[in-house]
Amino acid sequence: MSAFRKAGRGIVDSAKAINFTFDGKTYQGFEGDTVASALLASGNHLMGRSFKYHRPRGVLGAGSEEPNALIAIDRGTGRVTPNVRATTQEIYEGLNAESQNRSPNLKFDMGAFNNAFSIFFPAGFYNKTFLWPKSFWDKVYEPFIRNMAGLGPAPTADDPDVYASSYGHCETLIIGGGPAGLAAALAAAKSGEPVILVDENPQLGGSLLTTPTIEINGKPARDWIAKSLKILSKAENVTLMTRTTATGYYHDNFVALVERITHHVPNAKIGKVREELHRIRAKRVILAQGAIERPLVFNGNDRPGVMLASAAQAYLGQYGVAVGNEAVVFTSHDTAYQAAFDLADANIRIAAIIDVRDEVQNDLTEGATQRGIKIIRSAVISKTFGTLRIKACEIYEPETGIKTKIRCDALLMSGGWTPSLHLWSHSKGGIKWDADIAAYLPDVANENAVCVGACNGDFGIAAALSAGHKAGQKTGGGRKVYKTNEADFGTGVVNNGLPNYIDTAKQKAFVDFQNDVTEKDIKLAVLEGFKSIEHVKRYTTNGMATDQGKTSNLNALEIASKAVGKPIEKVGLTTFRPPYTPTTFGALTGYRDAELFDPTRKTSIDPWAEANGAVFEPVAHWRRAWYFPKAGEDMHAAVSRECKATRDSLGIFDASTLGKIEVVGPDAAKFMNLMYTNPWSALPVGGCRYGLMCREDGYIYDDGVVGRMAEDRFHVTTTTGGAPRVYRHMEDYLQTEFPHLDVWLTSTTEQWATIAINGPNARKLIEPFVEGIDLSPEAFPHMKLREGKICGVPTRLFRVSFTGELGFEINVPSHYGRALWETLMEAGKQYEICPYGTETMHVLRAEKGFIIVGQDTDGTVTAHDAGMSWAVSKKKKDFVGKRSLARTDLTANGRKHLVGLLTEDPNIVLEEGAQIVTDPNQPIPMDMLGHVTSSYWSEPLGRSIAMAMVRDGFNRMDETLHVPMPNMAHKVKVVKPVFYDPKGEKLNVV
Amino acid sequence: MLFDQAVDIPEIFKSERVSVTLIEGKARYNLRVKAADVTAFKKSTGLKLPSKIGSSSLSKVVSCLKLGPDEWLVIANSTQQKKLDKVFEKASKDFICSITDISHRNIGFEVSGELAAKLINVGCPLDLSLTAFPVGKVTRTIFESAQIMLLRTGEDSFHVECWRSFAPYLRDYFKRVMTTRY
Repeated sequence: MSAFRKAGRGIVDSAKAINFTFDGKTYQGFEGDTVASALLASGNHLMGRSFKYHRPRGVLGAGSEEPNALIAIDRGTGRVTPNVRATTQEIYEGLNAESQNRSPNLKFDMGAFNNAFSIFFPAGFYNKTFLWPKSFWDKVYEPFIRNMAGLGPAPTADDPDVYASSYGHCETLIIGGGPAGLAAALAAAKSGEPVILVDENPQLGGSLLTTPTIEINGKPARDWIAKSLKILSKAENVTLMTRTTATGYYHDNFVALVERITHHVPNAKIGKVREELHRIRAKRVILAQGAIERPLVFNGNDRPGVMLASAAQAYLGQYGVAVGNEAVVFTSHDTAYQAAFDLADANIRIAAIIDVRDEVQNDLTEGATQRGIKIIRSAVISKTFGTLRIKACEIYEPETGIKTKIRCDALLMSGGWTPSLHLWSHSKGGIKWDADIAAYLPDVANENAVCVGACNGDFGIAAALSAGHKAGQKTGGGRKVYKTNEADFGTGVVNNGLPNYIDTAKQKAFVDFQNDVTEKDIKLAVLEGFKSIEHVKRYTTNGMATDQGKTSNLNALEIASKAVGKPIEKVGLTTFRPPYTPTTFGALTGYRDAELFDPTRKTSIDPWAEANGAVFEPVAHWRRAWYFPKAGEDMHAAVSRECKATRDSLGIFDASTLGKIEVVGPDAAKFMNLMYTNPWSALPVGGCRYGLMCREDGYIYDDGVVGRMAEDRFHVTTTTGGAPRVYRHMEDYLQTEFPHLDVWLTSTTEQWATIAINGPNARKLIEPFVEGIDLSPEAFPHMKLREGKICGVPTRLFRVSFTGELGFEINVPSHYGRALWETLMEAGKQYEICPYGTETMHVLRAEKGFIIVGQDTDGTVTAHDAGMSWAVSKKKKDFVGKRSLARTDLTANGRKHLVGLLTEDPNIVLEEGAQIVTDPNQPIPMDMLGHVTSSYWSEPLGRSIAMAMVRDGFNRMDETLHVPMPNMAHKVKVVKPVFYDPKGEKLNVV
Repeated sequence: MLFDQAVDIPEIFKSERVSVTLIEGKARYNLRVKAADVTAFKKSTGLKLPSKIGSSSLSKVVSCLKLGPDEWLVIANSTQQKKLDKVFEKASKDFICSITDISHRNIGFEVSGELAAKLINVGCPLDLSLTAFPVGKVTRTIFESAQIMLLRTGEDSFHVECWRSFAPYLRDYFKRVMTTRY
């Protein structure tokens, strides 16, 4: 047995010894121990260094509220978790823990010089000091401050572990498995409806685990827990979740639970789930989160060995660990007496109980007398001694001025209790100040939620059990009275500044232990003009550490309220935000890493492209083949070759990602007339037309070729990225503006694989495979579509061209796409068929001056601006955007127009986005006329080409303008944006 | 010609407590019928079109799932396709409706076994208890970033449909869960 382990105490299993290391040294603990309890059992209190001053720190608490004892758990490469609370990390065989924020080691920390000069580091120090020179901030001040400031370093290697996530539902979600939560679960279980009970600890029982002498209805609390768990485990409608933290409470009873599945397992395998995020939608939520004891704010209250009285009680009751041999208790609340008595009963000497109050209840004084404990009333602790562990403290009695130094190796403090309102506040539940317990309590609920037990101010075990039982019942059933042998919970007093003979400026009285905020800092903030608690919080950083101010918020509030001179309830409380306790990025990410981060949509032809060396680019959610480089080719060479091959003979392109919408119904043409600028009524069945779509504001929104399959059926195509928004746009108008039309929309993007065949040999290639369609130019001219079969499967065959060459777009049901592609590739060998990607497609269309919506347009371009007035019907009475096109600003002179640009030097390829000016010698900023929208090298033309939006561009034909680029401005001539085959003769090769 | 359904289903998907298989050989139609025509449409086509949104009529040959106020998804064995094409061709002429073949747009998975609902709940936020989501219930919903259609075909079996290009994402997601969990 370790020196401080008390035989017969605690619920750790002393038959199962477990070895672990802390800072390289091996320690032994028992199954059921945390790192903190096992270290304390060995007499080791020093567990960390503070954030700002690098002061030595031990544990303050025994649970998730712990601000001091943050450690790193090292499980190998990529598996280092920093900032783990030693008080919640269960030990397991081989656990490797390290302290943080110290150099070179925990006992001797160079950073502690900050402490010696702490008088120079008041609140707002960094804001005040590191203002100048500004350039020093990024490179000198910030890295230094970050390095000195104290949390563990973020891991750099990838985390190989798996994190899971899932959704769940229940009737009743109970958060907290102490007496209130268990009683609630027992009552709720009877309804037969799904109940989930969660607790962040490994075992259910809450405070009952730490107070083993308690009896409920005449039986030991442990028996009551065991019996309750037996009932709950048997109930099929109840799910018990331990090691699970409710981290956030969101709208409509949506609660995030993080379950730590293997944090306590030795040699946890890589590849299995380590944590799971459960996203639970509950019909109602019962919050039984308990309360957290409040520290007292006094000079030297942060030495290792100074801790909450309830923590000392927990270490003894749950882990059988004495936190020292000689303890002093310092309190303003009755509950600390019970902690003192528990320790005394385990033969730990209680040197004295120092009570700030002048009156103490008789039963407590009697209890103390029986145990030979001295009580000193109306007294405080004014000083503590010891560096790495408390050695002694000085008792100061303000009325007499008497100072007494007494020896101790532990100091237990209690400033009363703070009900945990964190999740209640996440849910936007109201709170009210309760002067009797000097804390905020839940007020009006915002969700279907209720607080029970200590978090509702129902202090004491019997009260918690009854409240839990009542809340657990679905419909107000009977009251249940529980009999316990507990002492009266008692009362305490508010402490807004303990008396001390030492000047406040020279005291080190910590409020926020994790962020090193002292009483002095808060007073200074108020003195400097910060009156709102939210401002005080941000200026001092009180409550902003990873513990979210669980032990500090109320103390800070009390100090600030006194300094401001306003009652607490007028000062307000800072906002609690999720997560309740620090949450790993893994838990937030869940399964969604690598290929599961977001879907990558691939066409049926994509596997062929991948196998044949395509370079891909993302287009919306799709990945598309960008170009197909041959050995030794860069992008420029590959694209030039692909362009040339297509113009000379035959190119093949996967156009499957184009959006497709089937518009069907007797009013289909009417609907098309309203949604597109073009007229559709006269388009015959079997005809195709380029369609241009505007938004209500008259600007170009999307475009694509539309085919009329039947009087009442259109095959609409959209841009790849535009498919979802065009569908939504159409459906929106159909449902809200044109509900009288009998027409329906079905997305068919993925029903069809689309292969574009372009080049003089296009017809020759497909002819042998097509059945039932006469491909002769007379029977099947440009901009027509036909239905028939290709390779034996149904096809919708469009004769269209986005390249200026003879072109066909073959649509076949998707699952046949790859087979058809491979068939055509094989058959195309005789024509030296060339697969091309999106880059070549862009070049070929630019040579013809065809726009790409979103590249040559930017949401402020009208059809007229783009030189496409021909696509806007003048006869139609209405279409979406028509009224806007008559707006004076859209018809005004001097708008930017889409034109072509040819550089004087044909080898210069302009930069897309480059500005266009009249006179490059003007001082900057020059008069800017517009910008280059598309720019490429054109292999067939042997020169560069560009498209641009230029102010009054249509009236500047043949003008010379200038395009400033990094090294020099280039001369360009304004031309019509059709560079290749302006007469369109190539479309009609036979 | 080679028929490529975008996904393969590796061995891992056949576990004792949950299995995932590809639903093959189905014809699918998106069916929209003007409210006034529904009764006559049903009589003429012989299709059992359920009237309540989210409900279905299931059979081994033809299942009709009501997804919206005037919208059904008809899933049939592909052996029925020619017959149905004829029936629908006639119906298209006789009624105010929209019938669109989407056989290749969707990929179907069957998820079955005692953990089927749990597997789907990894990415689908709906309550899949038998009371909230009984056998025969159907809805459009999501599985993380993919839109899916979810139909409960039995106490422990579901039919999940998604668009073709989302199928590998679903398959990979299911796979990750099954290899790391079950």
